[in-house]
Amino acid sequence: MIPIRISKTMLCLAALASAGCNQGNLRPWERLPPGATTTPLDSTTKAQNTSRQPGVLGAVETVPVVGWTGPGGESLSVDRRTAAMSAGPSRQFGSITLTIALRDSSAGLTQYPCTACHQGRKIVMENKRIKDAHQNIQPVHPKQIGSHCATCHASENVELLALQDGQRATMDQPYRLCAQCHFAQVAAWAGGAHGKRLDGWQGRRVVMACPNCHDPHSPALRPRIPFRAPQIERIHSPIPWSPAP
Amino acid sequence: MSEERPGGPPPPEATLLGKPVGRRIALKVLATGVAAATQAAAACSPLTAETEQEREVRLLAWREYIKGNYHFMTDEEKAETINRLERLAKLQRGVDVKIQTTKAQPGVLFGYAFNISKCKGFRRCVEACINENNLDRRAATQYIRIFEMEEGEIDLDLADASFEHEVPAEGHFYLGTQCFQCADPPCTRVCPVGATWQEPDGIVVVDYDWCIGCRYCMAACPYWARRFNWYEPEVPVEELNPNQHYLGNRARKKGVVEKCTFCIHRSRQGRLPACVEACPTGARVFGNLLDPDSEIRWVLAHKKVFRLKEDLKTEPRFWYFTD
Repeated sequence: MIPIRISKTMLCLAALASAGCNQGNLRPWERLPPGATTTPLDSTTKAQNTSRQPGVLGAVETVPVVGWTGPGGESLSVDRRTAAMSAGPSRQFGSITLTIALRDSSAGLTQYPCTACHQGRKIVMENKRIKDAHQNIQPVHPKQIGSHCATCHASENVELLALQDGQRATMDQPYRLCAQCHFAQVAAWAGGAHGKRLDGWQGRRVVMACPNCHDPHSPALRPRIPFRAPQIERIHSPIPWSPAP
Repeated sequence: MSEERPGGPPPPEATLLGKPVGRRIALKVLATGVAAATQAAAACSPLTAETEQEREVRLLAWREYIKGNYHFMTDEEKAETINRLERLAKLQRGVDVKIQTTKAQPGVLFGYAFNISKCKGFRRCVEACINENNLDRRAATQYIRIFEMEEGEIDLDLADASFEHEVPAEGHFYLGTQCFQCADPPCTRVCPVGATWQEPDGIVVVDYDWCIGCRYCMAACPYWARRFNWYEPEVPVEELNPNQHYLGNRARKKGVVEKCTFCIHRSRQGRLPACVEACPTGARVFGNLLDPDSEIRWVLAHKKVFRLKEDLKTEPRFWYFTD
């Protein structure tokens, strides 16, 4: 369904670009205000669109994020790569591939790389939780399916994620793991309805990866106290105030 | 009362209209004259006792007062008024502001989508908006309202926009409103002086120096998206955002109307509005409606969307959607 809809959308834009000033067929919100020009998108954007090829997974380039800093004011860099969807999401997307610049998600891990501690030690992942292993992680997440460590983590290499079809994903590709169950969310994420965009609405699309917001072991967002606006100081009172929002 | 002084003519201060007068009358007249002169001097102090800086401020303010509507200014006039405004900000408040007059990009029409499934009511958008747009701290002006709605309810009159408890609350969802930048905005039609209009990229703006404060636009807006400055807006100098736009977040005056402009100083440079950038849940989607690859177009094509008060045919470019 989705490829068909997107092709419809593109037809709409082609019609819009070719129709020029003819705004009669457009929906009201698509009509341009007086004085606006109907210049079609510039050639660079088109070139980018046509150059989208089904690519391999892996970093293409690492570029800094301009205009947005991460938690604590630290600068971010992102790996730009083609998000090729395996198994689950490919049914959702069909033949569409999306070029998404992902924020490097493994940078925020506190106990990464794993080989910093696990050097030369064989890691046994059994179908039960070991008491003295990673006590700071209390997994509550995929408990409905009776999961354990080896459900998501590769036994032979703890720095890889294990997909259900036997493939392996790196820590920078968590969406491949999440997409196995949450395919609707990943479809929305790839399209633009889910996930936070970081680097401006124009040009490069930089979005957050799944673990940037959701702790994989406890993915629900925690409640917070909302921001409270500064209170009005009623010094000279009798002047009428704009009603408080 | 007059008595002749021996030994020559009387001193000059003791004469009145050429006639010699007595000491008492002379003192009385003198005192009156000095008082009057002092009052006159006080009344005319800008003409007599102003410093060089006060004189510059006065001249700049006067030129600002007689300038025209921004909508009809030439590029040279825009550059002149920008220079004056930046100089005035430096002289009066000691801040170095940068006011831009960036024009709308061709082929861009801004659209906004709000995910009511994602919004958790954290109000980080409100905080970012206050800081970004130099909103009045004293009157606590806010462009964005976040309504806490009961699930299954869509009546904003029954919603609570002033919650302070921990969010998200059980059985509630959150819906944020701001200016919807309508395609057919009723607020611009009613302005008697043409101080508010829609820009080619869809943003409805206000010329704060042309607004007369009649508040017709506030009455015309069905979404209560405009705010009135009952006071000279107060923003602490250390919190002032120096990145400003003439039609956006520059200093407002007392008695003018202001509104959300999708952060016109940011969005016209390809950046996201402050509310979108601050949202911790990614509930806000912003982009170009004329770009078929934009996120906003994907949302409109693939999600069920609705708008508020669609029956009024104001055609807001602001959609709500769910997961």
